[in-house]
Amino acid sequence: MVNSKSTVFIVDDDEASSRSLRWLVESVDLNAEVFRSAAEFIDGYDPTMPGCLVLDVRMPGMSGLELQQHLRERGIELPIIFVTGHGDIPMAVRAVKAGAVDFFEKPFKQQELLDLIHKAIARDAERRYTKSRQAEAIKRLDPLTPREREVLQLIAAGNLNKVVAAKLGLSARTVEAHRASIMKKLEAKCASDLIRIAIELNIGLDEQ
Amino acid sequence: MLNQSSLSSALTVFFLGCLIASIVRYLKVKREKTRLLKELENQRSANRALKRQLAENESRLRVIIESEPELVLLQDADGKVLEMNPAGLSIAGAEIPEEIVGRSIFSIVAPEFRGSYKTLSKAVFRGEARILEFRVVGLRESVHWLEMHAFPIRNVSNCIMALTGIARDITQRKHAEEAAKRHQIELAHVTRLTTMGEMASGIAHELNQPLSAISNFADGSLRRIRRNSARQEGLIEALEQICHQADRAGHIIRHMRNFARKRDANWTQVDINTVVQEVFRFLEPEARQNCIVIRLELASEQPLVSGDFIELEQVMVNLVRNAMESIIDSTQEGREICINTTADMPKIVEVSVADNGPGVPPEVAKQLFDPFYTSKASGMGMGLSISRSIIEAHEGRLWLSQTKEDSGARFVFTLPAISAM
Repeated sequence: MVNSKSTVFIVDDDEASSRSLRWLVESVDLNAEVFRSAAEFIDGYDPTMPGCLVLDVRMPGMSGLELQQHLRERGIELPIIFVTGHGDIPMAVRAVKAGAVDFFEKPFKQQELLDLIHKAIARDAERRYTKSRQAEAIKRLDPLTPREREVLQLIAAGNLNKVVAAKLGLSARTVEAHRASIMKKLEAKCASDLIRIAIELNIGLDEQ
Repeated sequence: MLNQSSLSSALTVFFLGCLIASIVRYLKVKREKTRLLKELENQRSANRALKRQLAENESRLRVIIESEPELVLLQDADGKVLEMNPAGLSIAGAEIPEEIVGRSIFSIVAPEFRGSYKTLSKAVFRGEARILEFRVVGLRESVHWLEMHAFPIRNVSNCIMALTGIARDITQRKHAEEAAKRHQIELAHVTRLTTMGEMASGIAHELNQPLSAISNFADGSLRRIRRNSARQEGLIEALEQICHQADRAGHIIRHMRNFARKRDANWTQVDINTVVQEVFRFLEPEARQNCIVIRLELASEQPLVSGDFIELEQVMVNLVRNAMESIIDSTQEGREICINTTADMPKIVEVSVADNGPGVPPEVAKQLFDPFYTSKASGMGMGLSISRSIIEAHEGRLWLSQTKEDSGARFVFTLPAISAM
């Protein structure tokens, strides 16, 4: 699941901390990139780059928590692992509530951090995969009319034509016609093929 | 006949005349002699009276000097004791005058004061009056502190004959002073421990940085070696970093230990800029964590001061931490503390710690230096009080210098510089 291009983005103002984290992360063949401040990260990060963020909570200028909020407001869903030198529980709670993967207090067990980094990267890759499938589905569903989408959704849910017709207040014949049109637009060869495609695209339908 | 008789009568007259003249002269001389004798006698008796008077005076003075409770001393230019009163003999631990009179005063001046005593003696024989506090170790090992006023005694031809020293026994005062100093040192130590307690979490964080860096470097190196993916240059660099970070942790611990250790006063020549830099290194990480910038404005040429490095550092730590606490809660952008050292005025070194926080309200300013006064929930309220007594023990002054209420607080202290750089 781990994308070979995944990168661990390290944001820490302490030089020894960031350098040593990079050394650790690279020892398990992960890419690492170091930023010395939140602002530097905002400038240098391309949201299409997969991976995860290892973030120091307290930094001069924009703090770790502020960066987390900044990214969320911009829809950037890079998983965040916080590290801190302070045993600051309320801050940890806030960070995790705001969606952080976890919160590590220095000094931590390297294996635990690496495990979590792997998990976060996997989570990011999965999310990106799902996202791209969704985007693809949305694109494929684009030619369908709104009524056809309704019909497809009900078919994907396992309903028979009759039930679909009753639910939408249509005649069975009309449903048949919609179904034929949908099969043509989605290039489905047979009924079972259509159901497979419908299930695959289900996420895309839900999105709409 | 006539001629003969007239001749004889003339002779008679002549002799008579001579006789009378002689008698008159004799009488005159005798009167003169009597007068002179009388005068001589008067003078003699006046002399006798004067001598008596002198003797009386001398014995009176001697009685005064002998019964004087302070040490009275006559000494020549080489330090030989010419005279010493019983009070002096007792301080010197001499049972009979010969044990000290005729010998060198330096046999009882404590070794560490011999230099300054010599300087005093030289000055007196140049015609100056001097005062010196010094310690005496008596012939029988008894120890006294003396405060001596010394001045020259001259003879009729205005040559300096001797040094006169009158010295008061200030042993008790010295002991009280030493006790007060000891108490101050103990109090300073206790408040340093309190400060350390307040700083504990910050210090733990400071130690965590190098420790976690060390374990990251070590763990990363092990993983590379185990996977056979280790490159020698990379490992060398990681090991160097481990050494460097261990030094960093060691420095923090050494500094803490020095700061917390119970110790006697240790006065040396101190460069105040070094104190400031040490405190900066100690507190800067905590400041950075709280998004506070500490700016240093240090005089390039700074005369040394005489003092206890750790105590002066303690004052700086108190002032800078107070400043940090006063601006931590302020919402102001660009929290800043400025530490400034100047030596503009001759013989005075001035240090100031200024913040851009809300400043000290006037009603607080009045009690700021009182012991146990605190505006914080935690804290003992001893910081400024002990800081002031430390600075005063260094013969300096510490005060709050605040012009406008909204321009932040500025604490200033001065210390006397050790003369000429």
